[in-house]
Amino acid sequence: MSIIRPFRATDLFTFNNINLDLWTETYGISFYLTYLARWPDLCCVQAAPTGPLMGYILGKAEGTSTDFHGHITALTVAPEFRRLGLARSMIAFLERASDDTYGGFFVDLYVRCTNAVGISLYEGLGYSVYRRVREYYGSLGLGPGGKDEEDAFDMRKPLSRDPHRRSVRPNGRDMIVSAHDVS
Amino acid sequence: MSAAALERQIRPIYDAIDTGSNKSAIVGCNKLLKKYPKNDLLKALKALALVRSQKVEESLVFCEEVLASKPTDDATLTAMMHVLRHLGRHADTVTMFEDALKRQPGNEELAMQTFFANVRTGNWKAGQQLATKLHKQFHADRYTYWSIMCAVLQASDSTTPANMRDLLFKLAHRLVTSAWNFTELHADRLYLHVSILKALNLYDDAQTLLESEQGQAICSRSLACDELRREIWKAKGLLQEEGKIAEERIVEKRDRNWLEFLSFLDATVPPSPQSASNGTGLSTYEETPQRIIHAREVLTNVAEKDGTRDRSGLLALLELEQRVRAHSLSSEPSRLVDLLLQYFETFGDKAACYEDLKPYITLDAEELSRWTSYLDGLPRSSSTLSSLQRLINIYKLTRYNLPTSELTVELEVPRATKLVQEYLDALPLGKDLPNTELQPADDLAILAGQVYAGLYSLAGDEAYLHNAVAVLEFASKRSPQSYLIHLQLVRILRLLGAPQPALEHYRLLNVKQVQNDTLSHYVLNRASSFSLAATGDLTYASECLESSQIYISNSQEVKIGNSQPASRRANVRQTAEFIVRAFTGEKYSQIPDFISFEDRLDNSLQRDLVKMEHVRMRITHEPINSELINLELIELKFIFDRFHHDNRDFEILPKYQPHGQPSFLTQTTLLGKQPSLGWLWVFLKIYIKALQQASDMDYSLEEKLLIGDRPKQSAASDIHIPMEERLDSRRPEELAELTADELTFYNFTTDLADWLAPYHNHTRPPPSVALAEATKQLESKSGLPPKAVEAPASNGTGNGHVKKAEDAPPVKEGPASIVGFFDHMHKRFDALVESNGSLPEILHVASLAQEALLLFSIETLRFKNASLVKIHKLGALVQNIKTIRSSALAVVGEIGAELIKIGESEGTSEKRRAFVSQCEPFLSDLGVSDSRHIPREATLTGALQITHGDVLDVAKKVTDARKKAAEGFGKGIGRVCAAHA
Repeated sequence: MSIIRPFRATDLFTFNNINLDLWTETYGISFYLTYLARWPDLCCVQAAPTGPLMGYILGKAEGTSTDFHGHITALTVAPEFRRLGLARSMIAFLERASDDTYGGFFVDLYVRCTNAVGISLYEGLGYSVYRRVREYYGSLGLGPGGKDEEDAFDMRKPLSRDPHRRSVRPNGRDMIVSAHDVS
Repeated sequence: MSAAALERQIRPIYDAIDTGSNKSAIVGCNKLLKKYPKNDLLKALKALALVRSQKVEESLVFCEEVLASKPTDDATLTAMMHVLRHLGRHADTVTMFEDALKRQPGNEELAMQTFFANVRTGNWKAGQQLATKLHKQFHADRYTYWSIMCAVLQASDSTTPANMRDLLFKLAHRLVTSAWNFTELHADRLYLHVSILKALNLYDDAQTLLESEQGQAICSRSLACDELRREIWKAKGLLQEEGKIAEERIVEKRDRNWLEFLSFLDATVPPSPQSASNGTGLSTYEETPQRIIHAREVLTNVAEKDGTRDRSGLLALLELEQRVRAHSLSSEPSRLVDLLLQYFETFGDKAACYEDLKPYITLDAEELSRWTSYLDGLPRSSSTLSSLQRLINIYKLTRYNLPTSELTVELEVPRATKLVQEYLDALPLGKDLPNTELQPADDLAILAGQVYAGLYSLAGDEAYLHNAVAVLEFASKRSPQSYLIHLQLVRILRLLGAPQPALEHYRLLNVKQVQNDTLSHYVLNRASSFSLAATGDLTYASECLESSQIYISNSQEVKIGNSQPASRRANVRQTAEFIVRAFTGEKYSQIPDFISFEDRLDNSLQRDLVKMEHVRMRITHEPINSELINLELIELKFIFDRFHHDNRDFEILPKYQPHGQPSFLTQTTLLGKQPSLGWLWVFLKIYIKALQQASDMDYSLEEKLLIGDRPKQSAASDIHIPMEERLDSRRPEELAELTADELTFYNFTTDLADWLAPYHNHTRPPPSVALAEATKQLESKSGLPPKAVEAPASNGTGNGHVKKAEDAPPVKEGPASIVGFFDHMHKRFDALVESNGSLPEILHVASLAQEALLLFSIETLRFKNASLVKIHKLGALVQNIKTIRSSALAVVGEIGAELIKIGESEGTSEKRRAFVSQCEPFLSDLGVSDSRHIPREATLTGALQITHGDVLDVAKKVTDARKKAAEGFGKGIGRVCAAHA
């Protein structure tokens, strides 16, 4: 029972149940408005019919020529609504918009190398590791997971404009770049 | 020197400003200004650097000079735009750009900037005209759409009269019809077009547009347009058509958006018989049974295919059954419970199960007994994550249907203990999780907390709150990231009069940015009675300021003179910038949302509730003088003109109390009353009235002290009623939000103000004197030579314009109610203490008594001036004031001393022992001596235990905090009494 609808500026007043979770960052207002003012069609929320928000996705379109792609900036689901497939349907939404509206070549996202659950979810949806980004999540420092904790995998999934799957590669886990090299 | 050389020299100044080195920017400007004393850009940059280093008055001088020279070059205009934005002078920005555009009418960039300046101030009318001009001159499509958008925004503005609205929408319609391009796939233009048709009720036109190839293509990929389409279809009563589209999407495209299911169900059978008679479902009512059979088939199919992957199919079957029953069309009465059982079988191990089923479990007696006995008969175990989640859901679902007759202390206590036991038994399941993860058993502790809160409201015994705190503190250690546990603790600790640990838990939530607006009420509601500001402990006062940062960094802030604290000066209307961006990027669907977002944040009720609390704290520790009085008066008067929005998040706390019972939130509301708009209004009236009497300021002086624009007047209904009348009005809905003690306090302040008003009005200096004084003060601060001040023409209205020739009004004794108030509060206080009233209530009464004393000081400040008293022969009045003051001081002082005694009795080992013994039902070890011998962590079964030591720590924390709250407030009262003796 989840409604998919556009992310609205006024949702910032009601997203506490999602954003008080440790892993969901609450940014300044300008962060959200930047996305809504430019890529409203790459942002959506899932809400219960009675109103409470369950999760949301924020995305953008970036890159030039064959690097033009949809990017998942934030994807989050409130703890009590996890394991219901909400993330799956929001990713599908973003992929569709990146493909149909923007004509991107692929969709990509970053995930902490320690986040095994996340990585397997994305792999199940057709994403594969394109490269490993060193010290992408610098702020937390070295945790128990060592390097894996602060490194990110850049995962990609080709869209219909890339039928030959040129935007992905099989040995992505071994391709290491530093955080300065990515946008 | 050439222009290029100058440019090279200016570059470092820009760099300095960009990196925030305002000082070196100012030095750079000064150096160059010696060579080029007439250069506007340099002056503008210096003004910018000055305003950014909080030197508002100095900056104003340069600002005025540049504005007077009417600049046209891009760099100067841009710099000035930033200066004026910082100063809050948006109207001047518009004028500046308009003047520049008049001189260079062919400059497209300048024309756009002028348009944006209007957008920033929300001047839609001018924006609309300018955009039309832009289109005529430069022929870009988007300028037409800008003008259309502006017309729509003007129509939607609350200040636009109703008859104008229709005209504006018609204008927008005419423009959009002629501009419309039938081949382009611009989602936001379509959105704008359809929303105009919708506003004009031109549903047929909207339908045609949306059903065109163009419309369909856009709706298939724009959620916003599709949402609008759904509304139009609904408004047109196209339920069947919409249902067909939805069915296709559900079956063929496997769309699982619940909106599709709702559309499909609406076409089958309306939610209730009432909605059927209003809608258009009636004509096809005979076909309903067939449609129900069909829908059941479709949905059963979906549910079977989806299995555990998606719950929409099963939920839609439940919703269908609910509706069928509402229409008395049900053929198989057992079906609803069948479906409930099926749902629980399939999705009982999902956390969302309880919220999903809640709408469907209000059952009749027979069904309820079947449902309950099903839940009772389920195996209960917490050996796996899935069985634990089922267990939690069983507890929640069973609790929801508990009848009132079973909500007795005798039955609830064992339930709570059982939940704690279940929680402890289930904890080992998550023992290997890192402490950044939530514990799977958390919900059991949260449930226990709610049962204990229920017990407290049932029996009024704080022991149950102690139980709740003990369990939740233990759970919080196991699951430090659980925000629900922290929030419940905040509620309960405040109820126990332990503000310090409550604040600590609140801070662990890591509330940031816009969340301050929606969540700070959990800790700042009525915070002034917990504030120890009078003793110099500014914890709560600074929490108020910090939580209010978000409004200042986001919104237009009105600044007053140099004495405004630096933190309140930033003045960038962030949201306005994004409205401009949305125009630039043609994202018309976002603009109304941005505007409403900004409006809700700017005029947030919580913002001003916090402001009010802060003022109440401020006067306890700062000297009360004319500066404080004038500044707060101006700010509170602005607030008094606002139309407020309540953004506070009350929904975040889960509701696990039985159906029909008050929620946890209600049960844990401090003093049983939630301050809201009515409360704010009463306190604004109290303070504005007192400050206004004490102040020498009138409107012209306010203007002088004001640097930015006045805030936009909202369309509040009573804004046109004269101020005095608004201040005197009393509305029942406002009074209903006050506690009995606050009402008494309100009456006291009214009597006090009424008594002293004639003497204030008689002795207040004429505005010209006050204005000259204020100007002198301002100038001494900015270090600039004094400017000539025009004395305002006296027009005999408003504050301070009272003829002085007459004799002073005869001195009347202060009414008995004023002295009586303090005696009454003393009695109230003693009675509460004797009857073992709750600490927050005791503090509430004490703080109101103190506040009354402070307001008395504000109201009588003027009459401390001996020469004024002599001139106006008010000696008798002063004598009277003195008598009242001394008896007030005596009462308040005694209350303070009494509080210190209460504090001493808290924080003792007896209090801690009592706390611990109240928690015995769920303690693993009962004696102090045993605790050392039992392993703290695990027993043989691996289950965790709450030990005596754990609870003792909590008891210490709570009782120490109570001690500090009572003692600190008592000492604070002592200081206040000394300062106002």
